[in-house]
Amino acid sequence: MFRVENLKKSFGGLMAVNEVTFTMTKGEISSIIGPNGAGKTTLFNLLTGHLKPDSGTVYFKDLEITGLAPSRICRAGIGRSFQKTNIFPRLTVFDNIQVALMSWRKNTRNIFQNADRFFQNEADEILVSLGLGGKKNRIAGLLAHGDQRLLEIGLTLGTYPELILLDEPTAGMSPEESRNTMELIQRIVRARKLTLLFIEHDMNIVFGISEKVRVMHVGSIIAEGSPQEIRANNQVQKIYLAEEM
Amino acid sequence: MTLSAVRKEKSVSRMIVIVVLAILAALPLVLTKGWLSLVTEMLILALAAGGLNLILGYAGMVSFGPAGLYAVGAYATALILVYTSWPFGLAFIAGPFVAAGAAVLIGWFCVRLTQVYFALLTLAFAQIIHTIIFEWYDFTKGDNGIVDIPLPELLKPIPHYYYFSLIVVALCLGLLWMIVRSPFGKTLQAMRENAQRAESVGIPVRRYQLAAFVISGFFLGVAGSLFCGFNKNVFPNYAHWIKSTEMLVVCLLGGIYNFFGPLVGSVVYLFLDKVITGYTQYWPLVLGLIIIVLLLFLRGGIAGFIAERWAQRRGSREEAS
Amino acid sequence: MTFQGLIIQILSGLSTGMVIFLIAVGLSLVFGTLRILNLAHGALYMLGAYMCYWISSVVVQTSGSFWWALLLAPVGVALFGGVVEVLLLRRIYDREHLDQYLLTFALVLVVGDLCKLAWGVEFLLVSTPWPLNGPVFVVGMPFPSYNVFLIFCGPLVFAGLWALIRYTRLGKVIRAMTYNREMANALGTNVPRVYTVVFMLGCWLAGLGGALVVPTSSAMPGMDMVVLIECFIIIVVGGLGSLPGAFLGSLIFGLVNAFGILVAPRLAVAFGFILMIIVLIIRPWGLMGKPE
Repeated sequence: MFRVENLKKSFGGLMAVNEVTFTMTKGEISSIIGPNGAGKTTLFNLLTGHLKPDSGTVYFKDLEITGLAPSRICRAGIGRSFQKTNIFPRLTVFDNIQVALMSWRKNTRNIFQNADRFFQNEADEILVSLGLGGKKNRIAGLLAHGDQRLLEIGLTLGTYPELILLDEPTAGMSPEESRNTMELIQRIVRARKLTLLFIEHDMNIVFGISEKVRVMHVGSIIAEGSPQEIRANNQVQKIYLAEEM
Repeated sequence: MTLSAVRKEKSVSRMIVIVVLAILAALPLVLTKGWLSLVTEMLILALAAGGLNLILGYAGMVSFGPAGLYAVGAYATALILVYTSWPFGLAFIAGPFVAAGAAVLIGWFCVRLTQVYFALLTLAFAQIIHTIIFEWYDFTKGDNGIVDIPLPELLKPIPHYYYFSLIVVALCLGLLWMIVRSPFGKTLQAMRENAQRAESVGIPVRRYQLAAFVISGFFLGVAGSLFCGFNKNVFPNYAHWIKSTEMLVVCLLGGIYNFFGPLVGSVVYLFLDKVITGYTQYWPLVLGLIIIVLLLFLRGGIAGFIAERWAQRRGSREEAS
Repeated sequence: MTFQGLIIQILSGLSTGMVIFLIAVGLSLVFGTLRILNLAHGALYMLGAYMCYWISSVVVQTSGSFWWALLLAPVGVALFGGVVEVLLLRRIYDREHLDQYLLTFALVLVVGDLCKLAWGVEFLLVSTPWPLNGPVFVVGMPFPSYNVFLIFCGPLVFAGLWALIRYTRLGKVIRAMTYNREMANALGTNVPRVYTVVFMLGCWLAGLGGALVVPTSSAMPGMDMVVLIECFIIIVVGGLGSLPGAFLGSLIFGLVNAFGILVAPRLAVAFGFILMIIVLIIRPWGLMGKPE
């Protein structure tokens, strides 16, 4: 369903992403791990159009999406959340989700009707499923960090993606919050039959829900396999897990 | 808020608008021609600032050159009236469309940049417009401007032009209100808040910024055409960046995050201008000090300040009930 | 146009360019480090001009008063700028760009009127100072020696700033901040103090430019805005935040202006803006700036 071939990107002399190749099947839940600076977020930026690759191709459902603008990639059915919380701070929680819905339903060109009447129920549903239902009228920028991360995920879901890329969804959350959030994500992903690829540092989460784990180091994928295989992989242990554990 | 509270607030707002319109409609009966002229000018400036605020407050695009499009509207109307035999109505309507056309051209280049580069490029284009008007003496009469622009008999008396302006401005502000409340308007705000995120949820940010720039240019053009008829003349300095800054100051004074900010700002600005220049020639000094005080202490502008107070009172009333 | 006339025109363009380099580089420096486009920069230039007049004509009554004024006026402007930075600008560094533009614009209004209050609206002249009050002869044609002096000021200041940026600690910090603000913060530099110092340096440069210009074109109301727009053009063309860019931009501007006036006097005014538009469209970060 999702194919990345020989993706390459360098900044000046620095090779940030080096001939990355992998594929994902529909419904797969997998993750990318690696030390800081391994190029994981840069890879995501290349996949979602925020950066143009120097070379390589990306295919989504057999359509080439390499180098397309982020808005086109969203329309194709890929959603993405960001490592640094990326919401619409001065809009209300409800407005945040509603904007994503209006964009997906191609309603944003409408200049004639009052926005209030659109997608109230749908937005409420999404907010409730994230546990943000009671906070719908609060200003998004004033929410607690954990809630903002949830809203971030909500924005990603608001465009009904088939493939979602989550960049450190639990960054900055307490262990309990992280657990709850990942359970929530798992539930939503299973219910909607989505494909999920996420970047994480928390090993418990990674090994808890991934079917497949890919390890990045200095811009390349150095290992790929089931959580058990990766745990047992010596090279990976040396580079990364030894630091973590 | 409960549904009945929302409905109540909506009808209160509607009442306020109707009352304000009624007062404005009654003004010619009580004001002298001089004051009525001033109120007309306030309405026109309010429309210009309102048009500017669409991109400034709602879309977050800081433009240094709104006066350029304002002048295009004014000069389009003036040139048509002077060189052709079109009736006033047609010339008046043409102004904003010519301005919108210029906005398409200028905007296409400008929206490819952001922040300070966007601001500087809009400034450069506005100054080019100023220079073209200034130097193309054969066509635009350059520095002398175009004077004695003919108005239809019906609009010549000041109270009549006042009603004309009131109707046009009210209609245009009504349209702007509709636009900012629409899905498009909310999308603009999302773009202002976080352009990158907006792209990621599927919004083609550049395209929408251009659309907003053109709509803004249209309303600036209406204001320009209105002022052309009001003053019965046009000069190159309509495009000068000093005029642009005046519009920016008006928006700031009233509050850029509030729909009524430009309106409030326009009234306060022109009123202060008239009063203070009566006492001293150092109106710029006073204005500068006012801006500094506002920026440091009244960050939402006057309308923002009022809206905050109202929201506080509403909040405490809700808690009490 | 004779060969001699051409040379004189080039020299003329150079002297204009070098003076405006002094002013533009201050604006560029402040933008590169503080990330604020100081709209009041032109007003500070004007203040420098008026202070130069004041010191050389009123305060110091001896001969050679101009040179005292040249020394002291920029310092005065820098001190004024320091006060403004500490009291006002500091409060808006974390605000949105619009607030920053409007605050600096408010300063334009305030400083402009304060100058009017103090010195009135007439054009105030200062005679060209000894020993530069005569012409030199270049290719047989007379050319004001004061203007030759101006031509030399440009590279002199350029060299001074270059040395400052390359060899001093302050210079290293400026470079770090222009290049990567968060890194500079993390390295523990005393950011507020650096901001104040850089801003004062920018003001000093603006004041110097103003003081230098008075013998050739007098101090007058409105000079602030004309120069400001010219500075915008230069730093856009050269690259915001770039020292060599400001120099290159000023050279281009001075020469384009000098020849523009010969070739198409009515459109000369627009040349600068057309240049600015072209650069912003094709290469927004200027000839020597870095893409952000």
